[in-house]
Amino acid sequence: MNGPGAHSVLLRASGVTKRFPGVVANDDITLEVQRARVHCLLGENGAGKSTLADLFYGVHEPDEGVIELRGEPIHMVSPRDAIAAGIGMVRQHFELVTPMSVLENVVIGTRGEAKVDLRTARDRLAELCDLYGVEVDLDTPVGDLAVGQQQWVEILKALYLGCEVLILDEPTAVLTPEGIERLFATLRRMASEGLTIVLITHKLHEVMEISDDVTVLRRGRVVRTSLTSEVTMDDLTRMMVGRDVDLDIDVAEASRGDLVLDVSGLDVATESGRGSLKQVSLVVHEREILGIAGVSGNGQDALFDVLVGMRLADAGRILVDATDVAEFSPADRLEIGIASVPADRIHQGLMMDFRISENLILGRQRSRRFGRRGWLNQKDIGEFANESFTDYDIAAPSPAHVTRVLSGGNLQKIVMARELAGQPRLLVVHQPTRGLDIGATEYVRQRLVEERDRGAAILLISEDLDELLNLSSRIAVMFDGRIVGEVDRRDATIDRIGMWMAGVSGAPGEAPP
Amino acid sequence: MSTDTSTTPGASSGSLLRRGGWRLERRLEVKPWHEVVTLVGAFIVGLALCSILIAAADKSVIDSYRALFDGALGSRRAIYETLVQATPLVFTGLAAAFAFRARVWNIGGEGQFFAGAMGAFFVSDLWSAHLPRGVMVPVLFIAAAATGALWASIAGVLKARYDTNEIITTVMLNFIILLILSYLLGDLWRSPDTFYFQTVTVPESAHLPLMIDGSRLHWGFGIAVAMAVVVNVVLRRTALGYEVRGVGINRTAGSYKGISVPRVTVLVMAISGALAGLAGAAEFAGVHHRLQLDISNNFGFVGIIIALIGRLHPAGVVVSAIAFGALVNGAVTMQIQTGIPAALVDVIQGLSLIFVLTGAVAVRYRLQRTRTDD
Repeated sequence: MNGPGAHSVLLRASGVTKRFPGVVANDDITLEVQRARVHCLLGENGAGKSTLADLFYGVHEPDEGVIELRGEPIHMVSPRDAIAAGIGMVRQHFELVTPMSVLENVVIGTRGEAKVDLRTARDRLAELCDLYGVEVDLDTPVGDLAVGQQQWVEILKALYLGCEVLILDEPTAVLTPEGIERLFATLRRMASEGLTIVLITHKLHEVMEISDDVTVLRRGRVVRTSLTSEVTMDDLTRMMVGRDVDLDIDVAEASRGDLVLDVSGLDVATESGRGSLKQVSLVVHEREILGIAGVSGNGQDALFDVLVGMRLADAGRILVDATDVAEFSPADRLEIGIASVPADRIHQGLMMDFRISENLILGRQRSRRFGRRGWLNQKDIGEFANESFTDYDIAAPSPAHVTRVLSGGNLQKIVMARELAGQPRLLVVHQPTRGLDIGATEYVRQRLVEERDRGAAILLISEDLDELLNLSSRIAVMFDGRIVGEVDRRDATIDRIGMWMAGVSGAPGEAPP
Repeated sequence: MSTDTSTTPGASSGSLLRRGGWRLERRLEVKPWHEVVTLVGAFIVGLALCSILIAAADKSVIDSYRALFDGALGSRRAIYETLVQATPLVFTGLAAAFAFRARVWNIGGEGQFFAGAMGAFFVSDLWSAHLPRGVMVPVLFIAAAATGALWASIAGVLKARYDTNEIITTVMLNFIILLILSYLLGDLWRSPDTFYFQTVTVPESAHLPLMIDGSRLHWGFGIAVAMAVVVNVVLRRTALGYEVRGVGINRTAGSYKGISVPRVTVLVMAISGALAGLAGAAEFAGVHHRLQLDISNNFGFVGIIIALIGRLHPAGVVVSAIAFGALVNGAVTMQIQTGIPAALVDVIQGLSLIFVLTGAVAVRYRLQRTRTDD
């Protein structure tokens, strides 16, 4: 091995190019990852970060260029080769066997032996946990763990297989703020023990907080690699998007209008009791955004579902313009002008195998706008698709293409185009910018404000406090299925909202009458 | 034992990983011609593998397949006969394809075929003496569609209301209708002049006219192809077809946007049953002109294979139904000329299906040469 120099290059890509049909995902990438440091790959969605990581992990092979490990070129045909060479990766979609225990999941990746000595494996794993300060019960079935915990299992797997380089693809997407803190502390410790960490992210503050080095990617190319200590967030933003952006949208307070949504005493039970609703009451007016804050799993899903009609309330009423819609089906609610943007756009919002133009009319396939007597009018659908492409700046080859090929930001634009087209009276939005890059985030927020100014009543459920503080007129906080506090935006502070989110209720200054 | 379960890196770098060859990569988009190649390829591989069986039986592969081809497509008469064989398969293939598009697993095409044939016979028995053919034939087709739809709807409603597994219910309904039919054929509907389980031959006004005089090719084939066009138009151009496809792709997103999944499920089951019922009417009024227990040559089940091989597309269904009609038809000639059992065709069918299904996955990937440069 190389000498113990503080700045020896462990992993290097030189002139690496990877093409997919119609796109150059990585274009002549050259970068060096130093041993025992935390190196961030920063870029917007579609900038080529994940592809580059896949090349490092043997999922794909470069069309051109070479990847070197410890100064020697390596040819990897599959992740197996990467693992053998000492490269581990935690991908965005976990590869775990949920009914099996943590220990079994870790051991399952080892090969070459007919029989595995679980006791030895347990000792070694316990040692690893100890060394890096990882806290996971080794005997719990993985399926019983929260998503954030499952990620630790993936990390343990990579460590157990003896990786020297650990690549993490957007690891914080599934973590709470405390979870992120813990992860970062552990990553620092790993680096100080000699492990090399490659962290993929599109969040600037994470880069500033954790990394020693940062490489910014844009449109498949390296913009620059710098020491994190030598750049500012503004520098990074400019490198990422190629221009200045302003995420702090000016929400010049519009004067609110008539009452639109009036919910009171809403109860929704769930089988496990987790994520149920208990006596939820709230109101939203015209030209007003009510933000709902809360740690995920405190009833936000149920609130969304009960408002759009996917779940029926056990008790309580939902008045929209003084009509009780609690018993209305989703179709009836669409009819009276309730539009919705679900948290999980791929599973709840879109038909990935539909054409883009078809997704743009989902829910309105029987409306007069797109046909008569059950027939679809292809011309009208095509025209609407073209309008949406222009209005929402959707980046796709054509509306006739299958939706699956689009990036996250463009998928969300399709959902927004569809939901806003009918000029909804009430818009229920759940996590509208989760997983989106800066450009798309800015765009979606801008649209929400425009929609508010048009006169819509908007209920914005989000786990992004910055987003809520930025856009909402008022913020209500959910904890354990209840609204535990509500505050006007002018009086909102992160501290107060944080207290409510942690379940400390009864803080002074609840919603002024 | 020691801690050697963990692979130690470092020792194995570079050279170990230098490996030439091919690797699979996921395609971003599957083009129609990929699918066509898969379909034709699967068929050819199926035939090729069967040639091993033929050779193993000490027969000439070339002679056998020549006989198969002659019997299937070698003459005008052979072609007509092939289309006669294909007719019920087009209907039952469409029935399965339509349901599968919505991910409603109707395995009851066989039972719905019988239900349709029974409905057709019932009205023919009742009215064929009084009605002209121009009225009787449409009526018996409508009756068949209605009884097929009704029979399938039992499973559809159970699924929609109680989330009953439709695979189980449709299969059970197959048994039930067959028992009902054999009861009726042994009792109420039995022709008085025979000991067989069969009805009387219905009067000519309930016979489908021939498409080609002097052949057995009846208008059922024309109707079947027309139905394929109709099904395609429904799927592509109507709100119902949109919802059917949508429920098949993502029923969660569909429900969020107001599509009633139970309603679509019942409708899909009924339409699928109606299509299978039409197959029964076509066989009854076009070929047999009476009901008998063996009126279906497993058409309902083969239709499922046809649908899958046709990639659930109406045009694919027509093509694969004709291909299998040709196989079935040619197999008879092959058996007569070479002594190879016609059952070989079942093997070809099965093998082709396996390769099509394999191909359906494989087509999503492409082979890429891995680089071996140093």
